[in-house]
Amino acid sequence: MVLTCPVATGRRTANSGESGRTRRTVLRAGALLAAGGSTGPLTGCDLFDGDEPPPPPDPLEPLAGESRELAARHRAAIAADPGLADRLTPIAEAHAAHADEIHRLIGRPAPSGAATGGATPTPGGRAALLAALREAEQRGRQSAAKACAEAPGERAALLGSVAAARATHVEALT
Amino acid sequence: MSRRQAPADARQALADALTAEYAAIYAYGPIGVRLTGADRRGARSAEAAHRARRDALVLQLSAGGGQVPADRAGYALPFPVTDRAEALRLAVEIEERTAAFWRAVLPVTSGADRTRALNALTDCAVWATRWRRAARVTPVTVAFPGRPG
Repeated sequence: MVLTCPVATGRRTANSGESGRTRRTVLRAGALLAAGGSTGPLTGCDLFDGDEPPPPPDPLEPLAGESRELAARHRAAIAADPGLADRLTPIAEAHAAHADEIHRLIGRPAPSGAATGGATPTPGGRAALLAALREAEQRGRQSAAKACAEAPGERAALLGSVAAARATHVEALT
Repeated sequence: MSRRQAPADARQALADALTAEYAAIYAYGPIGVRLTGADRRGARSAEAAHRARRDALVLQLSAGGGQVPADRAGYALPFPVTDRAEALRLAVEIEERTAAFWRAVLPVTSGADRTRALNALTDCAVWATRWRRAARVTPVTVAFPGRPG
């Protein structure tokens, strides 16, 4: 083991990495146990196009929604206390990047306009603001860890990074 | 998730994580001597976490009956550590690097093994954040801990 070539500085937020394989066809076929690598026979989407009902929601939709909500919370906190911008902007951006990556994994885009509005700033001073964000990140960490534990292997790495990132946000907000 | 993984994959990923933990423990030697006060206490605490994971991995891999990677007498550091700034920079690198190995365990494990790997990834990521803060590196977080850059 040689340490001379550092691995994983982890600074990139887009493009590299996770599988872009669409899961849509698999889910439409009801193959919810999709164990990976089995999308082959169904890759022609037109087989199911037409009057089919919309596909069932992906189990990761709520996690992507949570990422968007967390991003909005941080942006609302910055709006309420602009002095926190340097500290919270990278965290808000990380949540937005998580939402994008989870949607890439799902194979469906995020609902449009979903990230705007919603989060209302917490009343109270900066300490209360940060405490509320810490609590939200802590809850988010738990839900991401649960999603990681329950996910098929090909989704586990991204979800692990999301859970770990939320844990680092708790630390950064302390 | 109920899929049974090919044992060789999980075993290899865990063996790789073990060698990363060996290297991390080694690196905290030169890191620790360049730190004082709260930084040094932090280094001891982080090192203890790496040692605990090493011990658990040695036990786990031994129970499987196969070869367990051996520790080495020394590991090449990416740069010499002669002061606090370099010690903190190496600590960040070590934690990021170890996080990447644990992240690689996630896809090839399930159940308790995956949970342990996630806990390890998370712990390394949190320590990387603490060391960035100590070094006044901003931002103190990265978007995707453990993801190859």
